[in-house]
Amino acid sequence: MAAVATCGTGVGKTGSMVMAGSKNNVTGFQRRGPRASGSDSSYSRLVSIAGTRPSVRNGQLLVSTGLPALDQLLGGGLAVGTVLLIEEDKYNIYSSLLFKYFLAEGIVNGHTLLVASAKEDPADILQELPAPLLDDNGKKDFDEDVCNHKTSESNIKMKIAWRYQLLPKMEQAGPVSSSRFGHYYDVSKKMPQELIEASKVHGFFFPEKSSSTPNIEPCSLTHGYIKLLQFIQNIIYEEGFDGSNPQKKQKNILRIGIQNLGSPLWGDDICCTENCDNSHSLTKFLYVLRGLLRTSLSACVITMPTHLIQNKAIIARVTNLSDTVVGLESFIGSERETNPLYKDYHGLIHIRQIPRLNNLIYDVSDVKDLAFKLKRKLFTIERLHLPPDLSDTVSRSSKQDLAEPSKLLGPGCGAMAGGKKHLDF
Amino acid sequence: VTPSEGASGGPGREWEMESVLALRGLVLLRDSVEWEGRSLLKALVKKAALGGEQVHVLGCEVSEEEFREGFDSRVNSRLVYHDLFRDPLNWSQTGEAPPGGPLGALQVTCKRAGPGPVTVALDSLSWLLLRLPCAAICQALCALGRQHARPGGGPAGEPVRVLGLLHGELHGPGPRGALSSLAQAEVTLSGTGGQASAHILCRRPRQRPSHETLCFSILPDLSLDLQGGPPLEPHPDPHRPPVDPTTHLTFNLHLSKREREAKDSLTLPFQFSSEK
Repeated sequence: MAAVATCGTGVGKTGSMVMAGSKNNVTGFQRRGPRASGSDSSYSRLVSIAGTRPSVRNGQLLVSTGLPALDQLLGGGLAVGTVLLIEEDKYNIYSSLLFKYFLAEGIVNGHTLLVASAKEDPADILQELPAPLLDDNGKKDFDEDVCNHKTSESNIKMKIAWRYQLLPKMEQAGPVSSSRFGHYYDVSKKMPQELIEASKVHGFFFPEKSSSTPNIEPCSLTHGYIKLLQFIQNIIYEEGFDGSNPQKKQKNILRIGIQNLGSPLWGDDICCTENCDNSHSLTKFLYVLRGLLRTSLSACVITMPTHLIQNKAIIARVTNLSDTVVGLESFIGSERETNPLYKDYHGLIHIRQIPRLNNLIYDVSDVKDLAFKLKRKLFTIERLHLPPDLSDTVSRSSKQDLAEPSKLLGPGCGAMAGGKKHLDF
Repeated sequence: VTPSEGASGGPGREWEMESVLALRGLVLLRDSVEWEGRSLLKALVKKAALGGEQVHVLGCEVSEEEFREGFDSRVNSRLVYHDLFRDPLNWSQTGEAPPGGPLGALQVTCKRAGPGPVTVALDSLSWLLLRLPCAAICQALCALGRQHARPGGGPAGEPVRVLGLLHGELHGPGPRGALSSLAQAEVTLSGTGGQASAHILCRRPRQRPSHETLCFSILPDLSLDLQGGPPLEPHPDPHRPPVDPTTHLTFNLHLSKREREAKDSLTLPFQFSSEK
């Protein structure tokens, strides 16, 4: 996978690979020491790419999805070379927000972005990205010399034992890249324009690209998918994300975001009819896309309106072809909106699938009931708790309460407490 | 993202309807056999024409005379009618059919139209859905709504408003769901006891959708009379029933009388009472 790839292509950079017979030595044992000049990754042979980190479990290279809470649920982050499929909620509010978090994280880390959409112009999507919350620690990530600056401040702020002043404030963990993994974003503000312009973005807006009259062959990919795959392949090849351009000095990650895949705007029929002619178009697309991703340093997030897909078998196939699948279910317009269990949250988030990459076991979290809510600035994912049973009538003495009808929203007490008055054990 | 709640109360209702009338993009009018929507479509067309917009009408289901009846001369002069009813398969003209079908032809006409807001009324969208592939229609509708914003280098104008009349019974859940995901607003016509009501669902981008139910009536001169308020007999709103979480449980929360007596008469261990 990607971890192996970076090892293999990092030959010229670090000098800790030693040829046994190249020098006249008495013994065959060679000291492996850091020979590279000026490289900060002196503890490992991995080339560190900004914004990535190896997984603690199996060394898989991970990128952040933009939401640290989601990263934690997915086992540390999104693995490079894999696809994260987000099943859209009914009105596509929260899934587009997660999509924007992913893109914003790419901009903050300096990754290259590829944004594909059939509904909105990618330039418009970029204008709507949330602004990163860069606190003091975050701002330091963009500077080089921070130790001297901080130690002078610490003299004023607090009394540190004199020895500790010499240590740098910011701990640089060994092989990990220097910038922080996973940033927080303020949804109420837009990303500053200079950050967007400083980043490299390739946009694919399908209505503009499909100006030529399509000659669609049956049993083949839909025209939109063919164009998109060709575009992605071109970008990967030209920019050298698959290692085809060895002169590139600095390796980078390509973040691919595809919005509303499977909707009729891509030319696909699966949302319109149950038995359509090109029912395998989407699955073929995902299969080819996964091949492209596995051989390059890229990570992909796709949002798909699965609630519109008429044939449920297609959803099952799509789930199998994606690596990580996350489903969003918002409460807007459903009967759960008035359920007092869910009154603090805006929807449920279901982790439907987590991949097994170079591993025999899944990295699932043990929490299955997860809910999200969108506060004014922040999107949080929390474990769904049943509120405590605050009623004091569970004892035997209050048998008369059993005859009362269940009162759900009792005044002044917890939302659920009133309804549990007539439980007896 | 700011959540906006559905409007309720007096001033909110007119605001909701006004915002529907002011919305650009796709507005779906869903009617049914009992509550027809063509008169509402004509009322909205009249309002747009009197508001100074250019109105293009694609007529497929009724003849031009029938559509134009009820409009006065001011409205009729502003109406540009594309007639598909008389000759839907284009047999009478020897020239080749325009590429992209009728919606493509409409798009070309809209592009050639001058600056200013444009409203397109599709009478009806169901007719097009039954004859053209759904995905192509969705793409064409999005292209229609978008193209006016970039008329070849000029300043970005307002996007085109497309009013589509959709007959609810003719289509399955697939096309209905696909079109609602594209629409900026959906007006579903229903009614109780002779009073027509419209349920309006506004999907603003990046905001919570708001919905509202209004009573209305169309006057003989095709002007819209909003009577505000939900219909007189409020049928249970399917969105807001109170939910009892203790229903549908697989275990029994209650004890029967005999079990309760047995429980009460049980002596607990380690309870030192006078009986022991």
